[in-house]
Amino acid sequence: MEGWTIEVDMTDLALRVKGLRKQYAKVLAVDGLDLEVPRGEVFGLLGPNGAGKTTTLEIIEGLTTADAGEIEILGLTWAQQGQEIRARIGVQLQSTSLFNKITPRESLDLYGSYYPKRRSTEELLDLVQLQEKADAYHITLSGGQQQRLALALALVNDPELVFLDEPTTGLDPQARRSLWDVVRRMKAEGRTVMLTTHYMDEAEALCDRLAIMDHGQVIATGTPASLISDLAIPSVVELTFEGAAPEPAAFAARLDQVVERRADLWEIPTPDPKALLPRLLEAAEAAAVPFQQVHIRRATLEDVFLHRTGRSLRE
Amino acid sequence: MMLWRQFAMEWRLYRRDRVAMFWTFAFPVVLLLGFGTIFRDGGGPKLSVVRVQAPAPGPQDAALDQALADVQLKVQALPKAEAEARWARGETAAQLEADGAGYRLRLNSYLMAQAGATAGLVNQAWLMAQARLNGAPEPGRIPVSVESPGHKHSANYAAFLLPGLLGLNLVSMGLFSVGMVNVSYREKGKFRRLAVTPLPKWVFLLGQVLHRLTVTVIQAGILLLVGRLVFGIQNQGSFLDLLLIMTLGTGCFMAFGFALSGFADTSEGYAAISNLVFFPLMLLSGVYFTLDSAPAWLQHAVAVAPLAPFLRALRAVFNDGGTLAGHGAGLAIVAAWGLAAFALAVRRFRWA
Repeated sequence: MEGWTIEVDMTDLALRVKGLRKQYAKVLAVDGLDLEVPRGEVFGLLGPNGAGKTTTLEIIEGLTTADAGEIEILGLTWAQQGQEIRARIGVQLQSTSLFNKITPRESLDLYGSYYPKRRSTEELLDLVQLQEKADAYHITLSGGQQQRLALALALVNDPELVFLDEPTTGLDPQARRSLWDVVRRMKAEGRTVMLTTHYMDEAEALCDRLAIMDHGQVIATGTPASLISDLAIPSVVELTFEGAAPEPAAFAARLDQVVERRADLWEIPTPDPKALLPRLLEAAEAAAVPFQQVHIRRATLEDVFLHRTGRSLRE
Repeated sequence: MMLWRQFAMEWRLYRRDRVAMFWTFAFPVVLLLGFGTIFRDGGGPKLSVVRVQAPAPGPQDAALDQALADVQLKVQALPKAEAEARWARGETAAQLEADGAGYRLRLNSYLMAQAGATAGLVNQAWLMAQARLNGAPEPGRIPVSVESPGHKHSANYAAFLLPGLLGLNLVSMGLFSVGMVNVSYREKGKFRRLAVTPLPKWVFLLGQVLHRLTVTVIQAGILLLVGRLVFGIQNQGSFLDLLLIMTLGTGCFMAFGFALSGFADTSEGYAAISNLVFFPLMLLSGVYFTLDSAPAWLQHAVAVAPLAPFLRALRAVFNDGGTLAGHGAGLAIVAAWGLAAFALAVRRFRWA
């Protein structure tokens, strides 16, 4: 499999997953999944909705049992050392539901009391910038504030390994940025972080390494940069149209290139944009293609996903 | 320590939900005050008959009226039209009117308990009136009295109502409050957040149970206090017995709630399931009507259902000053249901 180029010291893994399988009534949610996450890494599971990211995370967190497979967390197994695992990991679920009339301070105190080791409530409130709302009822917090509280709760036991399930879904851009800062702080503190996301910019910005998931399987693993540079066609030329893009089949034949139609643009992947561009403009002129603008961009993780699955991340 | 913190937090959050808390405590009191006052009747329940007034009363009518008074029937004399209107409204249990040379007694099929007893007394009075008119020796009569089983509180409907309300509170606390809260916690993922912490599950559940138990005890205390101050009703038995029965009942019906919550995925689903259990439990408890004429299999089923023996023991202690000794079998039934429900709850319980 591609991407397994990084040498991993087996003795210092925060997480090792082998052959994980989970069958629900009608779907095979996780289909033979292998993962290895060294300590101190921010590791991302990237994939579209329904790829099996959340199920994978829930199995690792001990919320769901797998049909088959092995999991080792910080060198521990659920069957033998469940309570110790719970004491040493931090979890932010996709949605964290608390009581309507509990305050952030009380939540942090209460959840902290469940653990043998805990960080001070004040420190956590500072970390996620919730001091001003420390004594407000949970129901009065904004979505971003609730999400930040959920993050603080995941850190209440000073965990070595933190799981974040879609931590920024539904947040505005500014709230996302400040959440990214908290994740970077976690890494600086030496924690291992495993997060899921379906935002490729988030995966690129935060993750040391990624596993791209689809249909319950890992289809590629590596650093964001290596995943992109491993693509045979690392650049994309885009022609944008005013309104819907026309059917590109005839033009593609004339150009002898793959042309993919998006809503209002054509995408033409190429290994060599410099050589393609003059030919492209000439052909467009000859065929009177009514395009508005030309862009050349580097391929993204989105293109990696597209290339591997033939589908877009957002479909 | 962990358990105490969990219990204290349950209470703290409960106190913040003012509306829910207010009605939990106020609703039974409102019911007791309302029904207790409406049905307050100084002289105790009396059997009564509506007597349609004859246009021109003769000596026979006068003798019958006298005899009706002698057998201590309450007689309401009304003109024909008014009596018929009252009958049509369904308020009359028994109506006595002239029919040719004699009389006719109409009994309301909906109110056969009062009507049946009244019929016996009316016939006795008629025998007496005939003997008096004919100068024959008056037939002897057997005095009839209306009493409560324990000879206490005989005149007070509130006294009958209060143990019923105590019982109803337990059932609704268990079936509706506990079960519904559990389903909604699961639905909203509150349980999942707890499940990833090292908090032992039994601490969380026991904290909840203890919270509900204290709520029930306080609720009962308020009801008893209001009953005593407003209606002068007192617990005739020992408070320890009362507490034991209440604790057993709370445990049993809370276990029902926990068990049922394992069968529903959504709050809506739970509402349907809990009603499916609640209504048969109430209707077949023997509290609302007697099941004497029900088929034998149904009577056997009712005999082993938990609500009736529980309420019987509660009334026996509270109203009649009985002890638990005579209710061992009934309480064993309640305990058995509680254990069975608990076992089912443990089997079906899901955090997610």
